[in-house]
Amino acid sequence: MRYALLVAWREYAESAKAKGFWISVLLMPAILFLSIQVPILLEQKATPIRHFVLVDQSGAMAGVVNSALEKAQQKRVLEALNAYAMKNATPQPDSAEARRAASSLVEFSEANPQALAAFMSKGGKDYYLKQLAACLKPGAPPFKEPRRPYQQVPLPRGIDTNASLSSLASQLKPYLRGEKTYDVDGEAVGLYVAILIPSDLEKQIVRPRPSGGSESSGEHLGADHQIQYWSTDVTPLKAGYGLSQEIEAAINAEIRRQEYLARGLDSAVVHEVERTYAPFVSLNPKKEAGQEAINSTDVVKQWAPSGFVYLLWLSLFVIIQMLLNNTIEEKSNRIIEVLLSSVTPGELMMGKLMGIAAIGLTMVGAWMVALFGILSWKAGGASEMASQLLVILKATNLIPLFALYFLMGYLMYAAFILSIGSVCNTIKEAQSYMGLLTVVLMVPLMTMTFIPRDPNGPLARILSWIPLYTPFIMMNRAGADPPRLDMIGTFILLLATTALALWMSGKIFRIGVLRTGQPPRIVEMLRWALRKAN
Amino acid sequence: MSTPSLGKGDGSSGSVLELREVSKNFGDFKAVDEVSFSLSPGSICGFLGPNGAGKTTTIRMILDIIKPTTGSIRVLGHASALEVRRRLGYLPEEKGLYKKMKTWAVVAYFATLKGLSRRAARQRACELLEKYGLKEFAKKPTEALSKGMSQKVQVLASLVHDPELVILDEPFSGLDPVNQQVMEEIIHDIAGRGRTVLFSTHVMQHAERLCDRIVLLAKGRKIFDGTIAAAKRTFPRRVRIETEDSIAPLEQLGEVAAVRLLTVPNGEAHPNGSQQWELELHEQADPQAVLQACFAQRIRLHSFNQSDPTLHEVFVRLVGTQAKEAS
Repeated sequence: MRYALLVAWREYAESAKAKGFWISVLLMPAILFLSIQVPILLEQKATPIRHFVLVDQSGAMAGVVNSALEKAQQKRVLEALNAYAMKNATPQPDSAEARRAASSLVEFSEANPQALAAFMSKGGKDYYLKQLAACLKPGAPPFKEPRRPYQQVPLPRGIDTNASLSSLASQLKPYLRGEKTYDVDGEAVGLYVAILIPSDLEKQIVRPRPSGGSESSGEHLGADHQIQYWSTDVTPLKAGYGLSQEIEAAINAEIRRQEYLARGLDSAVVHEVERTYAPFVSLNPKKEAGQEAINSTDVVKQWAPSGFVYLLWLSLFVIIQMLLNNTIEEKSNRIIEVLLSSVTPGELMMGKLMGIAAIGLTMVGAWMVALFGILSWKAGGASEMASQLLVILKATNLIPLFALYFLMGYLMYAAFILSIGSVCNTIKEAQSYMGLLTVVLMVPLMTMTFIPRDPNGPLARILSWIPLYTPFIMMNRAGADPPRLDMIGTFILLLATTALALWMSGKIFRIGVLRTGQPPRIVEMLRWALRKAN
Repeated sequence: MSTPSLGKGDGSSGSVLELREVSKNFGDFKAVDEVSFSLSPGSICGFLGPNGAGKTTTIRMILDIIKPTTGSIRVLGHASALEVRRRLGYLPEEKGLYKKMKTWAVVAYFATLKGLSRRAARQRACELLEKYGLKEFAKKPTEALSKGMSQKVQVLASLVHDPELVILDEPFSGLDPVNQQVMEEIIHDIAGRGRTVLFSTHVMQHAERLCDRIVLLAKGRKIFDGTIAAAKRTFPRRVRIETEDSIAPLEQLGEVAAVRLLTVPNGEAHPNGSQQWELELHEQADPQAVLQACFAQRIRLHSFNQSDPTLHEVFVRLVGTQAKEAS
């Protein structure tokens, strides 16, 4: 054992000096940091104020569009206020006044579908901040209101608002395409969006026929007579969330409201009806009594393990590659024979296994420290995702499971790598075997995004019972409380497979390390593994 | 540094190394065939043989890197070299260093594998590097060393723990003449401290200068085991003479087994018309008898040269005979 430890120590010390190791250690935290920080920065600083023009020839919709935009802005303000409160309010207020203030803010929480309406009706930001003032932590920074992402500007000079929509569109296109800018209050602006509403909008409204059957509309007059949303940026459409959706929804709501009125309903009644809803809650029976309601944290919890699967995959790939390099180095540099006059092949293999395991644990340990560090730093105000992830990491066993599956996965794959490394004299020779292993390892990477959609479904369960994939798939399912049979059964199978793989690899290693010349075929290696010791 | 603890408790024979009818088969191929020999403490033994003779296989069996098919090996009185690995030094033919490691660290690493404490290993490594002129490279990675220097470092790495038995497999291969000289000095140094050295080579000059004893292997079998003088005695003695007279009377002598006319380097006859002859004598024959016969027969001699065979000649002859027998 002493000799194995000496080998392990050298492996550890030398690998820890390698550049590749430090790149691996630092890269993950850097990616994590950037993936949290860049969206924040973009939102705060880099996203330009987007200018839009609104031409409402019908004269009925400009107010609707503007109030929709205002509502969207108030929603952003409320979200920012909630995040600000979470970060800066005392969790357990001591004075009665503070407690009353805190409870008065509960109705604005994300769980209440009417939070925005309540927020806006009660006076918005000023009301919220006044209530919050009583329970703010001392020294809390002042609240910063999010910027309005969209700003309306007048039409460029010389464009007639009464021209046909197609003529308007063709005149606006150079501004929308970024080819031209024009002067607004001394600032050169380009256009991000142009919203054009035709004068005969009323005639274009699509109504179902009262007698049923096909829908009818006024006259089919082509694009000139539809509401037009012009923009080169199509992403908000895809995301289903953006300016065009907000405007479309607002205009249709207004048209329906007018329709109610036209059919003789009282506007107050319509307003009331619109605010009528049945409370709906999604519940998970596996959660603690009283806290079964599914919230956005639960959704993150189901998906968070995918991140760990990716880390698992990455870390295993990095360190088995390291193990392969170190094993082949001793063969290609012809050090192996001197070593074998001092240590037995078993001690050498054990030493390598332990040394590289220690390197791997150092690497993932550093990742975990970085993960907690960055999440704690960013939690609260700036990043809601960071706060949710932090809560999940602290409340679940994701990290211990990650450590366990990392170690087991490492030992199992290390067995293959040591066998390959022992029979190959150069990295090039090892590549054909590694190609095969990489194909095997691609599967969990490909299924990574499918598994969380149905974590206890047939695909997930079947793959979990294949030991090569157990660490990845079970990690992937960890957020969804898999059945105990799957947890324990697959682990025992994984343990047995790893033990068998290491035992066989020990036999191949003993024969392989002293071999020179062409690497053997896999069948031949298996024969070595299965034959009795000589 | 401690003195070697040989003899007592190290086996009844008192030999540092003992092989008894050791054979190794790889499938149907007999790489080593019933080889036996032993080494006494403090000796330098050359382990000679042509390529493929089984030297490296035998050495690997001695070191317990591979197991013999039959036969037994005792190293420093123990059944396995691994039991006494701290007292053994080994320099394989195929040798190398960790490229990225610092030179001192490589030497120290091998020392720790031989049982030295980390501190002692580091100290010894630095001492040795300084002694052999590599002090300024101690803190550089081994990839910065020239080939000769890195071979020197490899040798130092195998000697750093001052082993009692040192086994060197082809220590001279790949070295330039200067470094070959250094290598010979290192081997002399080791033996000078009372350690035992076994080294394999197929360059006979080194063996001739260094060895007390040689073991000669060919095709897996031992074909000679003894001192260099004894090896040379297996070779027929020869006498070279130069004369312008006829040597026919000498051919009749009982001592002479064969006569050969030697060609003059440039193909021309000697200016005075003399010729060079080589007379091969029978075993145990005395060259003086040839000289006396020359005087008796009035053969005028320009030169009379009685030379021992070189080890190279002995080697070629012994190995050649073996090759012929085998074919």
